[in-house]
Amino acid sequence: MKLESSYGYKQIINWLKLNKKKPFKFQTDAWQYYAEGYSGLVNAPTGFGKTYSIFLAVVIDELNKRAEQETLAFKSKQKKNTTGLKLIWITPLRSLAKDLARAMREVCDELQLDWIVGVRNGDTPQSEKLRQKKQMPEVLIITPESMHLLLAQKSTFNYFDQLQCIVADEWHELLGSKRGVMAELAISRIKGLLIEQHPERLLRIWGISATIGNMEQAMDVLVPYTDLLKTIIKSDIRKKIVIKSILPDHIDMLPWAGHLGHKLASKLIPIINKSKTTLIFTNTRGQAELWYQTLLAQDENLAGLLAIHHGSIDYELRNWIEDALHSGVLKAVVCTSSLDLGVDFKPVDTVVQIGSPKGVARFLQRAGRSGHSPHETSKIYFLPTHALELVEAAAIKEAAKTQNIESREPIVMSFDTLIQYLVTLAVGDGFDDEKIFFEIKQTHAFRELLPQEWNWIMQFITTGGDSLTAYDEFSKVNKTTDGLWKVENRQIAMRHRLHIGTIVSDAMLKVKYLTGGYVGMIEESFISRMKPGSSFTLAGRVLEFVMVKEMMVLVRKSKLKQAISPSWMGGRMSLTANLGNLLRKKYNETLDKQHDDEELDFILPLFEQQAKVSHVPRSDEFLIELINTKDGYHFFAYPFEGRQVHEIMAALIAYRLGRLQPISFSIAMNDYGFELLSEQPIPLEESNIKELFSPTNLTDDIVASINATEMARRKFRDIACISGLVFQGYPGKYVANKHLQSSSSLFFNVFSDYDKHNLLLRQSYDEAFYQQIEEPRLAAALHRIQASKVIIMKTETYTPLCFPIKVDSLRDNMSSEELSQRIERMTAESEKKITSKKKKNDH
Amino acid sequence: MTIDCKGEQLILSSDRAIYWQAKKMLIISDLHIGKSAHFRKSGIPVPDSINLTDLQRLTALVAEFNPETLLVTGDMFHNNINSDTNTFMHWRKSFAHLKVVLIKGNHDNLKNEDYDALGIDVYQKELLAAPFRFIHDKPSEVDEYYNISGHIHPGVIIYGKAKQQLKFPCFYFGSDYAILPAFSVFTGLKVLDSKQGDRFYAITPAKVITIKA
Repeated sequence: MKLESSYGYKQIINWLKLNKKKPFKFQTDAWQYYAEGYSGLVNAPTGFGKTYSIFLAVVIDELNKRAEQETLAFKSKQKKNTTGLKLIWITPLRSLAKDLARAMREVCDELQLDWIVGVRNGDTPQSEKLRQKKQMPEVLIITPESMHLLLAQKSTFNYFDQLQCIVADEWHELLGSKRGVMAELAISRIKGLLIEQHPERLLRIWGISATIGNMEQAMDVLVPYTDLLKTIIKSDIRKKIVIKSILPDHIDMLPWAGHLGHKLASKLIPIINKSKTTLIFTNTRGQAELWYQTLLAQDENLAGLLAIHHGSIDYELRNWIEDALHSGVLKAVVCTSSLDLGVDFKPVDTVVQIGSPKGVARFLQRAGRSGHSPHETSKIYFLPTHALELVEAAAIKEAAKTQNIESREPIVMSFDTLIQYLVTLAVGDGFDDEKIFFEIKQTHAFRELLPQEWNWIMQFITTGGDSLTAYDEFSKVNKTTDGLWKVENRQIAMRHRLHIGTIVSDAMLKVKYLTGGYVGMIEESFISRMKPGSSFTLAGRVLEFVMVKEMMVLVRKSKLKQAISPSWMGGRMSLTANLGNLLRKKYNETLDKQHDDEELDFILPLFEQQAKVSHVPRSDEFLIELINTKDGYHFFAYPFEGRQVHEIMAALIAYRLGRLQPISFSIAMNDYGFELLSEQPIPLEESNIKELFSPTNLTDDIVASINATEMARRKFRDIACISGLVFQGYPGKYVANKHLQSSSSLFFNVFSDYDKHNLLLRQSYDEAFYQQIEEPRLAAALHRIQASKVIIMKTETYTPLCFPIKVDSLRDNMSSEELSQRIERMTAESEKKITSKKKKNDH
Repeated sequence: MTIDCKGEQLILSSDRAIYWQAKKMLIISDLHIGKSAHFRKSGIPVPDSINLTDLQRLTALVAEFNPETLLVTGDMFHNNINSDTNTFMHWRKSFAHLKVVLIKGNHDNLKNEDYDALGIDVYQKELLAAPFRFIHDKPSEVDEYYNISGHIHPGVIIYGKAKQQLKFPCFYFGSDYAILPAFSVFTGLKVLDSKQGDRFYAITPAKVITIKA
């Protein structure tokens, strides 16, 4: 029977007609492929009903099955609909779940389909979880973490008995992270469970993704299984986007660096006023807090109409804000990536991006938050936080036009995630190692896993480590009489369940009013620097710190109008290669005045100022600035390759300079360039520049130059948490266990000294090398520099280009001196005082 | 390095110990025997070679100074008896002539008979040996005794020009009390605040060096 003439299809078309809607071609394509048993990936712009493409396909299938059963039942006089979980819908963000559930319930209600749509994530109340345990809803909207928690329960199989399809929504978001690996692993287990019991059944796996550079690969990661038919369904609809930069009246009003562009806040007010609802995106939670305060200070009429939304704000509050967004009560919301993804807030017609979004994909994603319905135009304003960001705005405009969108590299061989997954299974029903090895070998993340690596991992969770190192008395996962590997110690099981997940943050504390009522969460390291009586802002409120009690920060309302904002730690994003390329091109266009970008016209005076004190590099030039101040000798270079590449390049150059003479540097960088700072004159001349930046011997020099150990140590922090070596504090869930306190750094030392074969140690180095160093990109950059004209400028003062690096920098050290030499020299300078950093550890 | 403290000569060893020549006393703190095994029992793999190397360092110290007394200012054992304690038992037997004295710390939870069996004299709170008071955590009140304590696992950061820094475990000597570095390598560091007149002795890989506050 053709799908179009099936009962379910007709029902859906009728229902859409009643709502005056017509399906898009990519939707009917998806329905068709689904009906034919395909798995795959749907790619369409936001606002065109990506959700319906797969959800309705499952509904059509169900309606058809029921129609078929009814005819059969008519004959056999029995009628029975099977209940139980039919569809698992994986979402990366909790805030998405509510909205999705609402949309899906609407469909079910109007089609009179007796399905229950359930939500399960960290915010789901315990009572709801218990209800689900008794009777699973037909549709379950879930995060990857909660999927693993489900697998950590007993008698899991019953849940998936009726499962038809698993959908990974916003797959592009999960793809490049360990959460994506978690999704891959959970899917492999559920598929395996289903095959064990019902080998005849077909489990479809679908992804829904925004446009990324590597769509094919994205599908292969999600659906690596050779027994499944798969396809990519790409919509030919292009979302219309208008991008506009907010320009100050004069270029001097924009800071060179660091001041977050608050001077432009007044320009935001009219935009907010003339729009229905505006989302204002910032890059960090700290910035969001600052902007919330700034906007209120600008226009008092906004009080009550302006809200703030980010990941550290209490769940109830976030919920209220999301509801208010739907109903259109709010005029504007200052938010972070917490509102990045596909939530459909109808009243939102304007989006503002504050500061560089660092990548094309993220910017377009955010733009898509406005004008959400089909054929509406998305409108996004770009508000630069420093002058040079205007060039980035012009670059992003061009990338949006040419659809020059970044790829997302999938994570492979993350042993930490695998270890966590295996213990999760052992905490649940237990696992058969041969079966699980077979399953994970089919996943994209672990298809290269070697038997000896598998053996090591099994030893790691059962005996503690390989036989070369003794691990007496180790106990975690044991083989039970039924031949399955299980965790029998209840304490270990409980601790593990509390720590499922791959997002590692600093210890967070809940913030609560003395009179009751939660405000949100804050990092322990921030609050440890506060004194009672001092004030800070959270969730847009000025709070006075009273005390910390039982892992709870108690506060009262402060009388102050303004206070410091907490700085939440968080990955700093690096400029992508795409954007870097475009940026250099835009520098040319600005100098040549060959463009139609108002941003570039606007920034010209700054370029002229830079040209006066130093030089503006064209895309075929490579600029170096040498400046001598009381801090020491500064060496600035501008490759425009993004923070991450600069970090490695800086270390490389420092190392090569160190071969000329023993010298110590401190290193700073931003997305445009890097700085080497030394107290001694830097042995740098025109004649040796090209040699210093040569791509020859690159690999060897990288290995010798970067402090690989330090980088790996940084990476090991997450790995130690994910693999269950150290435990992070949990807000409200603190398990007092002073005898088990330790730090990842301590484990890193211990394994380095006593257990060199440790795979987690190897993983930390691998992650450092592949994710941090990006050697191919670095090599390409060095080749480009070789072909460029080198321009060395000696200046008296900081220049417009170098200033942002001075201000906005992460510092690192690099030395070619012997440690002992260095210690001696540094102690000689001991007038520098020994300051303190409060850090809690085990004593 | 030898320093003068309240008129007494103290040798600071880069193996994280003090030798008080006049009393033939070797003083260490925060040995944390059994910590690694405690972690292993809880499903966190820590190799037991850690405990061994700690004891090897202790052996070397005893050989170097030939003390009559080994004084531990607390946290000698971590929580309870386990395989690491057995290893220590063997060590103890090979140094039967050595007097071992422990001032109890917050992690020392062994039974009295266990301490007896291991040949350790236990002081619940403190040991007075003028001009010093040996105690696990520094007392809040100041009196005529100069306190020598442990507990904190002190560390020090050395800052250089051009924003460089290095971090090491250290001995701390303040106006009213001193803090020993943690003897066990399986311990973290806490960087201390400094006041005028404080003395820090950083333990660098090669030797102990003085750092002025």
